[in-house]
Amino acid sequence: MLAEFGYGVLLVSFVVTVYSGIAAFYGVRSKSSALVESARRAQLLTFPLITISSITLIYLLVNNHFEVSFVYEVTSRSMPTYLKVTAWWGGQAGSLVFWSWLLAVFTSAVTLRKWDRDAEFLPWVIVISSITLTFFLGMIVVFENPFTRFWLSNGEVVPSMFRPSANATIFTPNDGQGLNPLLRHPGMIIHPPMLYLGFVAYVIPYAFAMAALITGRTDDRWTRITRRWSLWAWLFLSLGLVLGGRWAYDVLGWGGYWGWDPVEIAAFMPWLTGTALLHSVMIQEKRGMLKHWNMILVILTYSLVIFGTFLTRSGVLSSVHSFANSPIGPFFMGFVTLTLVSSVALLIWRWPELKGETEMKSMLSREALFLLNNLLFMSILVVCFWGVIYPLISELATGQKVTVGPPYYERATGPLFAGLLFLMAIAPLSAWGHSTVQTLGRAIWKSALAALVVTGVLFATYTQNIYAVVGFFLVALVLFATAHEFWRGARARQKAQGENIFAALGRLMGRNRRRYGGYIIHISMALMAIGILGIEIFQTETQGTVASGEKIAIGDYVVEYRELASWDSPGEGVNYTRAVVDIYENGIYLGQLYPRIDFYYDSQQNMTIPGQRSTFRDDLYILLVDWQPVSSIGATFKIYVNPLVNWMWIGSITFLFGLIYAAWPDRDPADAPARRKVTAGNRQTSAAD
Amino acid sequence: MTETTTPKRGVSLWVQIVIWAFIVGLLALVGVTLSKRQQGTVQPGDEIPDFTLPLFSGYEYEGRSEVSLSEFRGKVVVLNFWASWCKPCEQEAAELEEAWRTYKDSGQVVFLGADYVDTEPEARAYLRKFDITFYNGPDMGTRISQLFRIRGVPETYFIDPDGVLYYVKVGPFLSVDEIKSVIEQKLP
Repeated sequence: MLAEFGYGVLLVSFVVTVYSGIAAFYGVRSKSSALVESARRAQLLTFPLITISSITLIYLLVNNHFEVSFVYEVTSRSMPTYLKVTAWWGGQAGSLVFWSWLLAVFTSAVTLRKWDRDAEFLPWVIVISSITLTFFLGMIVVFENPFTRFWLSNGEVVPSMFRPSANATIFTPNDGQGLNPLLRHPGMIIHPPMLYLGFVAYVIPYAFAMAALITGRTDDRWTRITRRWSLWAWLFLSLGLVLGGRWAYDVLGWGGYWGWDPVEIAAFMPWLTGTALLHSVMIQEKRGMLKHWNMILVILTYSLVIFGTFLTRSGVLSSVHSFANSPIGPFFMGFVTLTLVSSVALLIWRWPELKGETEMKSMLSREALFLLNNLLFMSILVVCFWGVIYPLISELATGQKVTVGPPYYERATGPLFAGLLFLMAIAPLSAWGHSTVQTLGRAIWKSALAALVVTGVLFATYTQNIYAVVGFFLVALVLFATAHEFWRGARARQKAQGENIFAALGRLMGRNRRRYGGYIIHISMALMAIGILGIEIFQTETQGTVASGEKIAIGDYVVEYRELASWDSPGEGVNYTRAVVDIYENGIYLGQLYPRIDFYYDSQQNMTIPGQRSTFRDDLYILLVDWQPVSSIGATFKIYVNPLVNWMWIGSITFLFGLIYAAWPDRDPADAPARRKVTAGNRQTSAAD
Repeated sequence: MTETTTPKRGVSLWVQIVIWAFIVGLLALVGVTLSKRQQGTVQPGDEIPDFTLPLFSGYEYEGRSEVSLSEFRGKVVVLNFWASWCKPCEQEAAELEEAWRTYKDSGQVVFLGADYVDTEPEARAYLRKFDITFYNGPDMGTRISQLFRIRGVPETYFIDPDGVLYYVKVGPFLSVDEIKSVIEQKLP
């Protein structure tokens, strides 16, 4: 009964969404504001509808309704309630509902805003978002229905939404298969929703960009309305990536956080264009330039979101993350084609009208450096895109599939990332409009000198590896130059306003949230770079099988195997096997670690939990690989020393802080241009711009 | 990308052609791949193109660290795709090994294990754990699994003495007899 109800509500939302798109389209064609208003209300209705359907699904999940095939596939009796709720996005069908629900949240939120100043955008934004939502709901209703139930029909169990034959009865399995244990980690519980939030939130900037192209209103209105959306979208996407990395580090048991897997790259590519967009939008706002480019970036970002989702979910790319082969492929392919072709056609059509207002005057001006930053991001994108697409080409051309591994990506993107770090250090110091080598040199020499000193010390005491030395120099340069920026701004304000330095800094940052939030993000990127350098260049690993009392040495560490225990926890449906090892560093006892393997009976899967000892200098990361079943004769361990990796997570937290600082709502972001004129005088004297 | 001050101009024809060609090419590429993926695995009756499987040390074939399918003409080849992270594979591991030991000395049957998307230490631990002795090696770059268009592990492919696929098993075997009965079909 409940399953039919949930499905029925989904069908209604589908119809309402289709209506909303059509009504908005005819409303704008016939200049009927009543019709557009009706479309807007229909759009608003999708949110409660999909919410009801989702609540129904969650109810089924939480209450062990295993006659529903989706519930059977992703939950089991032994799972705690919170995990059953999160199973909502643990499988293909449910995650599509989740995705649609987020989309409804965003489109409803955007239709609720004040539209008086941009009424011409409204119908088109509704059309674009309705098409997207129609597509996702259609995919659920037709191909991936989470409410499908098992029926016993003529001695066979068949999954079907409705009674497959007259005498069929509902079949309820005793217990479900349970969520893949790899997905039971806290990082994994928040990681997909964050990623989806990021993906879905990019629909809004895209819809506005399309509306701007269709209506021909090619000023920077659309970027001003959507910049906060882009920022939040970027926040969620970044958070999703970072959490995914943390999850991989904790759970996947290969001592790393990023494996250049196609699914990871599929999520990383929109992040690259999204980051480029964040920067280049500023040029459009400040200088009226790069309008074409911003359009291209919005279209690229959104297309990459859709394209990446398609590639990974349709089974076109094989991946450890892979969703099961599913029938949505051709349908999804159609949507990808529609998106790409219509966006590009619109862009080409409006191309002549998107002209810049000023010209680039200096190769070292802020805008020129931003452009260079964009080029670097695009280059990384090309590297990634080629890596993802190349196996397909190769398979088509030679009949054999190759996988493109981490070394390709590392070598190809390494110098580009280094270039980005360098720009991160110098770009904030250059002026809008015009900069010369002299002005830039004057601004940066102190930071460069300080960075050189630090690098020299590191060279003498820590490493002589040339890549690491260059990397650390760039990181130090970014940190010093950025800190110097804070200092300079605060000093100038202190002199002008007579405030003390902390008050001056506080006010300065408060007045220029986006700018200083951005700098905090730059700092966080430099911190993350330390972690990345550490793990890429200095990671060491070893493996050994030892009997109780025997030792394995790695670097300064010695790991001594003590004992092993294996026990069942019937309540959780898990068998734990836990090893106890003593850790010594240079002969000094540091304590014990407990690497373990959890075996989940319901899904018949193992989960490897590393024993970790984490410091600012390095992580000692121990995996239990194998053991002899008879007491503790011997056990096999894989041991990693991951230097500096903690800076990755410190950087991530700093990053989050900077992003929230930058994205935190001021009074009314859309009215910012009006206010800016009044405060323009102040801003120039405060050395903030 | 860079702005100019020349009078309003559209996108030149050549650029448009390049852009559309790129988009059409990309979509075609993805479309073809998608349709291939949807075909499912290779089917019985298909002749299997030759492939080479590198072997783990300790699991070599006559002292060589690499074997090709073509050198087993005249023998029944049982090709099993597995991975150390794959739990259903463990269900059939002992059965496969037992079947191998049955036919090992006859010289008419060869068992090959292709380790799919795995790391060597884990794979070795798995092989040791189940005391597996037939020829095993990594499916480097998933080339072989792509050749067979496998959907997952475990999957087992039976190739007759003429190099033609004659049976596909998706999922684990439930008994040794099941494996034997498939092999016996092609033995004299």
